[in-house]
Amino acid sequence: MVTIGNAHDDLIHDAVLDYYGKRLATCSSDKSIKIFEVSDEGHKLLETLRGHDGPVWQVSWAHPKFGVILASASYDGKVLIWKEDQGRWSIISEHAVHHASVNSVSWAPHEYGALLLVTSSDGRISIVEYKEDGTTASTVVDNAHAIGVNSATWAPPVAASSAVDTTDKQQHERRFVSGGCDNLVKIWKYSPETKSYLLEHTLEGHSDWVRDVAWSPSVLVRSYIASASQDRTVIIWTQDQPGAVWKKQLLTEEKFPDVVWRASWSLSGNILAISGGDNRVTLWRENVDGKWESAGQIDE
Amino acid sequence: MVKLNEINTTATFAWSNAAIPVLATGSAAGVIDDDFSSTSSLQFYSLYDKTPILSVDADAKFYDLDWSKNNTLLAGALENGTIQFWNTDKLKSGSAKAVGKGIKHTGSVKTLQFNPLQHNVLVSGGSNGEIFLWDTNKLEHLSPFGPGNPMTPMDTITSVAWNHAVSHIFGAAGSAGYTSIWDLKSKKEVLHLTYTSPTGTRASLSTVQWHPSQSTKLITASESDGAPVILTWDLRNSNAPETILTGHSKGVLSLDWNAQDPSFLLSCGKDNTTMLWNPLTGDKLAEYPTTANWAFKTRFAPAAPDVFATSSFDKKVIIQTLQDTSPPVSTRISTVKDSDFWNEISTTDTQQPKYFVKQAPGWYGCHSSVSFGFGAKLVTVSKTGDKTSEIKISKVKLPGSTKNENLEK
Repeated sequence: MVTIGNAHDDLIHDAVLDYYGKRLATCSSDKSIKIFEVSDEGHKLLETLRGHDGPVWQVSWAHPKFGVILASASYDGKVLIWKEDQGRWSIISEHAVHHASVNSVSWAPHEYGALLLVTSSDGRISIVEYKEDGTTASTVVDNAHAIGVNSATWAPPVAASSAVDTTDKQQHERRFVSGGCDNLVKIWKYSPETKSYLLEHTLEGHSDWVRDVAWSPSVLVRSYIASASQDRTVIIWTQDQPGAVWKKQLLTEEKFPDVVWRASWSLSGNILAISGGDNRVTLWRENVDGKWESAGQIDE
Repeated sequence: MVKLNEINTTATFAWSNAAIPVLATGSAAGVIDDDFSSTSSLQFYSLYDKTPILSVDADAKFYDLDWSKNNTLLAGALENGTIQFWNTDKLKSGSAKAVGKGIKHTGSVKTLQFNPLQHNVLVSGGSNGEIFLWDTNKLEHLSPFGPGNPMTPMDTITSVAWNHAVSHIFGAAGSAGYTSIWDLKSKKEVLHLTYTSPTGTRASLSTVQWHPSQSTKLITASESDGAPVILTWDLRNSNAPETILTGHSKGVLSLDWNAQDPSFLLSCGKDNTTMLWNPLTGDKLAEYPTTANWAFKTRFAPAAPDVFATSSFDKKVIIQTLQDTSPPVSTRISTVKDSDFWNEISTTDTQQPKYFVKQAPGWYGCHSSVSFGFGAKLVTVSKTGDKTSEIKISKVKLPGSTKNENLEK
């Protein structure tokens, strides 16, 4: 285990490993982003990135086929795109369509291209495409969640039912899930005809803000979404095939001791990690009966 | 600031406590409309729509409105001395039924508030120093009672506020210029707060609000143009205020302390301005676009703390958000000329707020985090202090068919 204490001068809000698990990007209320090299033996600070004028809430690594690229989301209302070239980091793009805090950023599965999903407290979601010719194109979903959007993540590139038949054009369907201050979880689908994202499903179940939504990245029998909320619950939403109804199941009947901040699926999709306001991280898996059971916890 | 809605009415208002709040407005007492209308109505608005969801008649014009914490009952403080109650259970299906009247005050009712801890208890204040307590579980047989004897007679009560931590303590402020603290258990006024500025001007403490969680802290504001100050107090030493917030150029009429993050406070007043403060540090954070007349009430939406409303005598209730990161547009405002009064009331244009200190509210950002990486590595971030966090990277043993009990570290 590697422990990094006091990496920043203020609270740290996010820390994510790159594709190879060798570099760690962290971000903080101290307005900076740090890049660490990590191995089993320890860690080494490589760079401190400054450019935001407010706390940085989230960072996301792009797939390595696009280069060493990191996106960051800040209270200053901006998303910055950082690139490393021969050890030097620079800002290569700035995304400033939002009027309020940008709360999350997430790169799409690389099959979709360099596509970034951005959510903001202005109630809107934007999708930015960085094209090969160097131009960018933004699509905005207005009024996605009243009061504000806290989180959004992409569906895996292949729709669950077509796991066997990859020639199906399902493969090209782009979906994402979002969660917001209206206590709702919403599923959006790209419509090539209108070139916009249309609301496909609205999922009701939480009684307070939805803080995080995570779509399981694996192509299992079903689609799985975990939503974490301020109401101290996590809901697992499952769909047997695209277009079918989403079924709702509480991860655990008993409420968590505090707000649930984040949910993250393992890359194979069968383990769910949950972090809460009590500083505990718990792991969960589905048993053969379709119930969710504890798979351990990470101690403080 | 992103302006969400502008409702063209001179009205007092109350927010519902729902995630997507509804704003109830009541025609303001003491003002003459441009059509000389004397009718009073209670209206309900969504965040974005200029036309009300519902409009019902009220017995008289309003000085104040408050919504019970469980969203079922709305109480209006009326000019005619009564308190009118509406049941808002069926608001979604388009109905708000008048369910009761509280008749006890001998003059206008100026202010009222539901108890945040005991949802059925209401305190009201009005002319002649009258304060009454009501049990709204008995709407058919209301039998209000007084809180006990004041230390010194109060004139008109203009503001009442319940303590958020101790259910039997409330504060009242009025035109006599001081704020009094009442304890219902001992049935008396236990303290009163006054303030005289260093220049010798006596502040008129006409508005009171409590700290959202700490029981001994409260904040008062002065409506006097000579001393337009906002004062924070700790009752453990009530001789002098803790912090003095100066910045308003004329008297302050309304205050609201954010329920989710005590480092945010709204104020508005006779200088037509709404301001955002950090009352803990004393910093002025932002100044919102001025209105063309007195801004007399400002309130955060309780369950949507990014959103607040301000009502002003230029026939406006504006719903806006705390922050705006979009680039500035040209600023422009024209004040109402007297000669225009009868034809055109509002002429305010798009303005940008001025931000002095950028402070992120506590309801933003995760305080802990978890994310999986390649090779079942798990990165966790946990909060270890007010401004410190710790990152850990551990390897999770992926379960086979058996339950995963041990985490390899």
